[in-house]
This record gives sequence, C-alpha cells and structure tokens, in this order.
Amino acid sequence: MSGPAGPDGPDDRPLVVGIGNDLRRDDAVGRTVARRLAPRVGSAVRVVESDGEVGRLLDLWDGAKRVIVVDATRSGAPPGTVRRWAPGPEQPAPAPSSYGSTHGLSLAEAIGLADLLGRRPPGLELLGIEGADFGLGAELSPPVRRAAERVVRRLAAELGRPADRRS
Amino acid sequence: MTDRTIAVDYVARVEGEGALAVRISGRAVEAVELNIFEPPRFFEAFLRGRDFAEAPDITARICGICPVAYQMSACHALERALGMRVDGPIRDLRRLLYCGEWIESHVLHIYLLHAPDFLGYPDALRLARDHPEAVKRGLRLKQVGNRLMELLGGRAIHPINVRIGGFYRVPSREELFAFRPQLEEALALAEATVRWVADFPFPDDEEEYDFVSLRHPDEYPMNEGEVVSSSGVRLPVDRYEEVFEERQVPYSTALHSVRRGGGAYLVGPLARFALNQDRLSPRARVLAREAGVLGPVRNPYRSIVVRAIEVVLAVEEALRLIDGYRPPDRPFAPPPPLPASAAGAAITEAPRGMLYHRYRLGAGGRIDEAKIVAPTSQNQGRIEEDVRHLVERSLDLDDAALGDRCEKAIRNHDPCISCATHFLRLDVSRRPGP
Repeated sequence: MSGPAGPDGPDDRPLVVGIGNDLRRDDAVGRTVARRLAPRVGSAVRVVESDGEVGRLLDLWDGAKRVIVVDATRSGAPPGTVRRWAPGPEQPAPAPSSYGSTHGLSLAEAIGLADLLGRRPPGLELLGIEGADFGLGAELSPPVRRAAERVVRRLAAELGRPADRRS
Repeated sequence: MTDRTIAVDYVARVEGEGALAVRISGRAVEAVELNIFEPPRFFEAFLRGRDFAEAPDITARICGICPVAYQMSACHALERALGMRVDGPIRDLRRLLYCGEWIESHVLHIYLLHAPDFLGYPDALRLARDHPEAVKRGLRLKQVGNRLMELLGGRAIHPINVRIGGFYRVPSREELFAFRPQLEEALALAEATVRWVADFPFPDDEEEYDFVSLRHPDEYPMNEGEVVSSSGVRLPVDRYEEVFEERQVPYSTALHSVRRGGGAYLVGPLARFALNQDRLSPRARVLAREAGVLGPVRNPYRSIVVRAIEVVLAVEEALRLIDGYRPPDRPFAPPPPLPASAAGAAITEAPRGMLYHRYRLGAGGRIDEAKIVAPTSQNQGRIEEDVRHLVERSLDLDDAALGDRCEKAIRNHDPCISCATHFLRLDVSRRPGP
C-alpha cells in the first residue's frame, strides 16, 4: 500500500510537484497542472500533488536530481503570467506575502531549510502561474486555466518520452 | 487625543489565515478579537444532498494537517447513525492511523512553529541555522508519522483508504511489522524531543482553564470516550450540544463555542493531558515525570512539552497496536440497509482537540444536515482570554513587542486556521483612557 511518493530507492526521473489548495480557486493551479500532466507523461516523470507542507516537500525532494515545483503566484502581474526560474540569491522563491500559499511555512522557507540541511535537489526550478482569485471555490479563473493548459503542454513536450506519450 | 493603529504583517507560523485586533484604552484592554476564517461552515453547506459515504473524503479536505481527524469523526458519526459498531482489528487500525496524524501534526508544531519562540528565533529557518541537528531530528520524526499515515491511509495528505465501516484495503501483518524499526527509531527521537523542550525557558503564566476532552475507560482518548471537563461535566458525545453551543460574534464569520450558561473552555493537548493522566502509556508517563509536568499543566507555554509527551504516547501506541495486529477477515464492515432517516454524532480527538460531527440522513442515505465543530473554533474564546491577560500584564511594551507576545500566546494553542491563503494579521490600537 504505497503512497504516490514512488519507490523508496533512487529515482532518477524528473519530479514535478504541483502545490496548492483545491478549495481556494486559483491557488489550486499547481495541483491542476500535476493532475493533467500525469496521464500525458506516463512513467517517464514522477508527478506529485502537494499541499506544500515543508516536511513533506523535503521528503519528496530527497534523492531527486531534477525538480520542477509548480505553484500559484500573487505578484500583481497579469493573471495567467507564467514565470520559471531556478531560485537563488538573486531571484529567490517568492516571499510569503506575495504568494498564494496555504501553509504555515512558505516555499521559500522550504528551500531555505533544504539548503541549510543539504537537501536541495541539484536541479530545482520553480514554475509560477499568476493567480487572480484566491477566494473559496473550486474553479480556476479563465486566464489561469488557459495558462495551466499551456504549462501542461510545455512540460509534457519537454519531459515526456515519446513511447510513454503514446501509451 | 491620538488614536493609533499598528498592523504587523508577517508570517505568523499558524496554519492559514486569521487576524487579531487588540484595542487598548488608557490602561484598560477594551477588546481582544480573534477573527478566524473557518472552512467547516462552507463544508456543512457543501455536504447537504451528498451521499453519506462521501462524507469522510469530503471533510478530510477541510484540513491538510489533520485529515484523519475529519475522516474519523465523520465515520464514527455516520456509523452511529446507521447503528454500526466497528471493533477489533479495524478499530485498532483506525487508532494506528490516528497515531500517525498526532505524530505528524504535533512534531510540525513543536519543531517548525513553536520551538523558535522559546529559543529566540523569528522562524524555523533561523532555528535550523543554529540547531540543524534538532531540526533534522524533528523532520525525521515527522517523516515517520507521515509514513505511518501513508501505510494505512494510502497517502499522507487527504488519505484515500478510509471508508464507512473500515478501510478499502488493510495491511498484512508483514507490512505493519516491516514498519516497526522506523517506530523504534521514532520512539528514541520522541523521547529526545521531550528532554529538549522540557529545558526551554518558559514565561510565567498560569491560566484558569476549563479543560474539556474525551475520556475512555482504559485508553488515552483518540476515537472514543465520554465528554468530560475539569469543571465536572460528564456526558455521552451525542449530548454534546446540550452543554456546549456555538455563538455568533459580530467581528468574525466564525462561530465561537462556549459552555451554555458559562464561558470559554479549552480543548487540545493540555485538556487531554489534564483529564487523562492516568491513561498515559508507560514511557510517556516516565517522560512526563522527568519533565516535571505530572498534574494539570496550566501554563500554556508548556503545551509544547505536553505535545512532545503525546508524541511519545502515539509512537508507543503504534508499536503496541502493530504487535497485537491480526488482519480482519474483511477490510470493512458493510453498512446495513439504509433506514428512511437516521441521525448520529461523534467526537474524536484531533491533534488540536475535540472534533464534533453530527449528521442527519434522509432517504437513500442522503445527507440532509451536517454540523461540524472544529477544535480551533472551540478554543477561540479561550485564546482571546489568554491574549487579554497577556496584554493586561504587558501594557508598557511598545506595539511591536506587544504584537510579538500576542502571536506567541496564540501559537501556544496551535490554532488551525486552515484552508486559507493568508497569514495572521495583527492590529493593535491604543487610545488614551477617558
């Protein structure tokens, strides 16, 4: 009865983590991307949904070489704006106050803890999708839904193996 | 005459979203208002018209930290409505699953949210810089709780393996036994946690709490028991609403629970510990004695020690349950034929305290009414009183320092302000007295 975290041994597949809260509209965009991406990339990519809780994020990252974390952002950019970067001192993960985050500790703090404890995956990237509405509800707003589709297509083309895509 | 309002905006290390307003007039504290957005209200409406079998999975989504609590209260309430009684190995597996959640939730709060308050750090990141070994210990311990939830629940966030009557699939004896070494390691880590937090410097504070928790004839309470209080209440859970009620407060969309004809009360680790000391597991009792907390703990800051003792208890219980496990003949008890109408209530002990669910079913098992009272909504009034007492003692502090103390006083009770996208906003307003 194993969870979705994959096998315990080394797993060299790229890992995509979709973070969010399904009940706070655009905050769910990371999870939506994960759900739609998983069937398109088959076993070539490990795709996991997460509520972003720090301990679980660090557990997910353990042993992974390449990780793409997909989450909603709230920076004031036009809704649906997609940004992708490797968080570092010059371009850190978004601060909690600008982030559509559902957790006591932010993604930035998770990355900080991973750095301090030597647990940051070597290829860690963030993919942020700007949200518009973080109110109570299950529907993504239209520009965010369209952005999620673009991100799914792009990640599937980039990460999926042709054989898996056919299956 | 000057009015001042100061807003302190930063991550408050409580789960989710909330706001605290403190109004001070001269040397008098006029108001302390904790305003927490409360998802259960939304879910009560959302559940109406749904099939009863959906309730455990729907309500599990109320909280990412304590989904098992919602599943357990929903299952027990609905099973009671249908006249079902779940016993034997399935009952044990439910308690084992709950142990995983207690470990995970308490360790998150102890290490990443609460400990920084006592060691002089603004957050877990700064704590980890100076105490990496402690944070590693906490993360490993939390991971064991997480894995226990995955082993039984299918996954740690919103477990999918729980259903009315039991589980979709139960583990083999071998699967559970294979987990034993991790729990033995966790027991050592949990004991080290008690010793670590017991030495923290705690502010002097003694509050007069009306503690309320479940009490079971021979177990430390998780899934079952009567409702008892330090003021002498003792009643079966289905009479909970006769003694406790939810009241609207003007400044909040959340309801506050109070004793009918009485005041605020406290649920959670301090209450469970005070009312169930004679039910502690063997190591937990030894550690409690060593930590000097035998007897009711009324200093809310010491709740971190009580949580650590409850983690020891949860690990010991997990080991005991695994050792005694024999797989059931089938993973769940099938529900009986549905009656034309039915009603049932249950309380289980979420990590943060009693979680009450009541359901009324109509034809075909459709949910006609759902009522959910979360631990944090029960504690809101009592948290406000803690903050009020703190502010009364601390009027000479500047607003920033006072705000910081208020946040710590709130954090003592690990409020779950879940299902949210924001963080605590704090407003202190002062004006000269009349």
